[in-house]
Amino acid sequence: MKELFPMKQVNGFIFSLLLTVIALSVYFLDMSFSVAMTILLVTAFIQAGVQLILFMHAGESEDKSSIYTTTFYAISIALFTVFGSLLAMIWGYMF
Amino acid sequence: MKIDHSQPLEYSTEQNRLNILGFWIFLGAEIMLFATLFTSYFVYEDRIGSGPSGADIFEITPVLIETIILLTSSFTIGLAVHAMRINRTKAMTVFLGITLLLGAAFLATEIYEFNHYYHVGATLQTSGFTGILLTTLGTHGAHVTLGLFWGTMILMQIKKRGLTPQIANKSFIFSLYWHFLDVVWIFIFSFIYLKGMM
Amino acid sequence: MEFFERFAIYHPSPLIYASMVAIGLVSIAIVVGITYFKKWGYLWNEWLTTVDHKKIGIMYIISALLMLFRGGADAIMMRLQTAVPDNSFLDAQHYNEVFTTHGVVMIMFMAMPFIIGLMNFIVPLQIGARDVAFPRLNAISFWLFFFGAMLFNVSFVIGGSPDAGWTNYYPLASNEFSPSVGVNYYNWALQISGIGTLMTGINFIATILKMRAPGMKLMKMPMFTWASLLTNVIIVFAFPVLTIALLMGTFDRQFGTNFFTSMNGGMDMMWANLFWIWGHPEVYILILPAFGIYSEIISTFSERNLYGYKSMVWSMVLISLFSFTVWLHHFFTMGQNAFTNSIFSITTIAIAIPTGIKIFNWLLTMWKGKIRFTVPMLYSIAFIPLFTIGGATGVMLGIASADYQYHNTMFLVAHFHNVIIPGVVFAVLAGFTYWWPKMFGFMLNEKIGKWAFWFLTIGFCLAFFPMYVTGLDGQARRMYTYSEATGFGPLNMLSFFGAGLMAIAFALIVYNVYYSFRHSPRNVGDDPWNARSLEWATHNPVPEYNFAVTPEVKSSQAFWDQKKHGHKLFDKEYEEIHMPNKSGVPFIMGVLFSIFGFSFIFAIWIGVILSAIGIFACMIHRTFEQVHGFHISVKEIKETEEKFGGADK
Repeated sequence: MKELFPMKQVNGFIFSLLLTVIALSVYFLDMSFSVAMTILLVTAFIQAGVQLILFMHAGESEDKSSIYTTTFYAISIALFTVFGSLLAMIWGYMF
Repeated sequence: MKIDHSQPLEYSTEQNRLNILGFWIFLGAEIMLFATLFTSYFVYEDRIGSGPSGADIFEITPVLIETIILLTSSFTIGLAVHAMRINRTKAMTVFLGITLLLGAAFLATEIYEFNHYYHVGATLQTSGFTGILLTTLGTHGAHVTLGLFWGTMILMQIKKRGLTPQIANKSFIFSLYWHFLDVVWIFIFSFIYLKGMM
Repeated sequence: MEFFERFAIYHPSPLIYASMVAIGLVSIAIVVGITYFKKWGYLWNEWLTTVDHKKIGIMYIISALLMLFRGGADAIMMRLQTAVPDNSFLDAQHYNEVFTTHGVVMIMFMAMPFIIGLMNFIVPLQIGARDVAFPRLNAISFWLFFFGAMLFNVSFVIGGSPDAGWTNYYPLASNEFSPSVGVNYYNWALQISGIGTLMTGINFIATILKMRAPGMKLMKMPMFTWASLLTNVIIVFAFPVLTIALLMGTFDRQFGTNFFTSMNGGMDMMWANLFWIWGHPEVYILILPAFGIYSEIISTFSERNLYGYKSMVWSMVLISLFSFTVWLHHFFTMGQNAFTNSIFSITTIAIAIPTGIKIFNWLLTMWKGKIRFTVPMLYSIAFIPLFTIGGATGVMLGIASADYQYHNTMFLVAHFHNVIIPGVVFAVLAGFTYWWPKMFGFMLNEKIGKWAFWFLTIGFCLAFFPMYVTGLDGQARRMYTYSEATGFGPLNMLSFFGAGLMAIAFALIVYNVYYSFRHSPRNVGDDPWNARSLEWATHNPVPEYNFAVTPEVKSSQAFWDQKKHGHKLFDKEYEEIHMPNKSGVPFIMGVLFSIFGFSFIFAIWIGVILSAIGIFACMIHRTFEQVHGFHISVKEIKETEEKFGGADK
């Protein structure tokens, strides 16, 4: 039975639950918007990293550089799209 | 076809390795798909018209249940891949089955949640905000639904043919998909629900 | 009868009824013809069910050419309508429909498939692969594109064409201002073919990353393959944005949501934002492969290797990233503050730098080269100055403050035609002529080709340069007519004349295909152009298995190495070759997707449900199917190779 539950997976699971609890603090505790957003951003991206590297084995195969390049390319374009649109539609919009 | 026995089953043929890389590239496209939904969500977040805002309609309990269910299912699909790699077909099917059950439980909770929104007057048509909220959640939910069918097909194939290199490959790719949906949910949980409720 | 009323044409005219009859008659003639010549089996076995990248490439190109004539007819109608002041050939509604379909057809159903067709045919050959990574998926991509295009064209005779511009801006595209089903057609035709394009993107990235011949490192790939790789990267990250934008548009029009409305929190400008997040990368999807084609051709016909290979690659990598950071320049006048406009103005102008590097690289490749003025080379040489003019006016438009003057005028129309026609259309025509012997084993007639080239180039200059002038004088785009007092008349007449010359050029190209098919000599050998890259190392036309033996490569000009430096490309014995099976499922899925789209457009929910079930049934069939492909034996390979004159190994 024990070999079916490797430490890597179990620890990863516990860690992701822990991150969720930390993220939940923005709901239960009283804090400023910027602190709360920082907490959410940090926990969400760490959580994504845990999934990507621990669970999805992104770095295990011969194609790991292609896989990482694709992912980082996607994430950077995604972030530019999100913030560029916010700039265009909200922060920098005059009407 | 050449089978390379030094590699795990899901990587053992050239086509298998191609499939896995191809699916990663697809996930890159999925990142942009959900990024577009998030972009739109952030733009529409405060454009509530005469409808309710996020703080008015979000409930922490179903959201927490959904989050824990999905995190757990991400864990169990990871265990399924591990079991597959140590050749424990039976254990693998059990873990895969549990994952699918958890997926169904997630969907049931989400349906409850949607029903709640309907009853508090937050429908697709109510405002820009409710429209994009339900579209984003719905797109994720549709992915989970598709995953349920896909996973069931894989289970049936394992029952029928055992863990061949092709089926191991499909199972591994399914696990990538499922983990990815969990990642998307983490972002929904953080930047739609928690941000909306705090 | 009430059910059928929805299919009636929204804004009919005798012209449309005549086309309806013509389309009906042509369809009947095709069916009768195929039956009479007993070609149904051939069509099904050799083409409709094929997964061969070469045949799929050819089908893409044929469809693209058909769409070129559809879009070209639209263009001629527009120029005819505006040739004289106060013309009444088309009314406002028809003019709206015509410029909308012209834009969509030319971008989505002509330029993209033409380029994807060339990519399909050439990229696997340039990297020494047997096929693409996912041959079956490739067939699905093609059929989704094809049926998406058909769906779009059906709008002309059933229900009414889209009429809100190819940019389809809301609120104009909303139910209130575009009450016909036209915009629904737009949504679903683009959605379906867009999904196909996305899958092409994934397929080619995997192919290029993983299936290169031994020895071909990334920095040893031919330039067209590099351009294709980066194009597909842009496709994969840009098309999901279009998917979501179209979905939101569909929801607005068919389910009453408030995304792009102006009430209940809706924001009509969000459509423009999402559309251009996809739309700007889209223009680089068109132009990067064109750069690749020109690089191959200029290097071949200057008999020199490409100058500055590394800077070519890096400039394209930069362009592929920058292409996602400039979209806002399409709506500088929409209401952002100066700070926001400045940021996007700077990123926009910055793209001119890597593009400029490329222009100098091509010029330096030709410098001291032994230039042969063949048809492909003529297009490439004409491209350089014309595209530079288009690029320079692009920088003018990219300056946000100045854009307030140019925005929405014919100046803009002149600019983007000036980059797209010499950039993309010249490139695909050059590539089409250059690789034609690779596809069919004979050459296109050079003399007719040169006539077509001169007609096209002169026609282009006459058609579009006057628009810069009228644009600066204030002629707005998309206006169906203007008064005589504006003084735009003579220059618009000149444009119409230029458009006529371009039409003659395209007719000459078609005649050239016919003429060469009848009269060109068939024994052109494997290397009619004295070319350099790997795709010329196999036979013309290419055998089913591409290369009898997997080549070993040591530079981006593997074939040149073999010819001039004694490099051994094929230093192995024949081995059995594994090939993928044909399948009819992709075609059936294409049909089902078009039924799905059509039913959705007209809100016939039973059709939507049934075709969706059908699509899922195809996918389930696929997952349970066990096909392992087939093998071509050594004996068969030997026979085929001998037929081509064998000893070339």
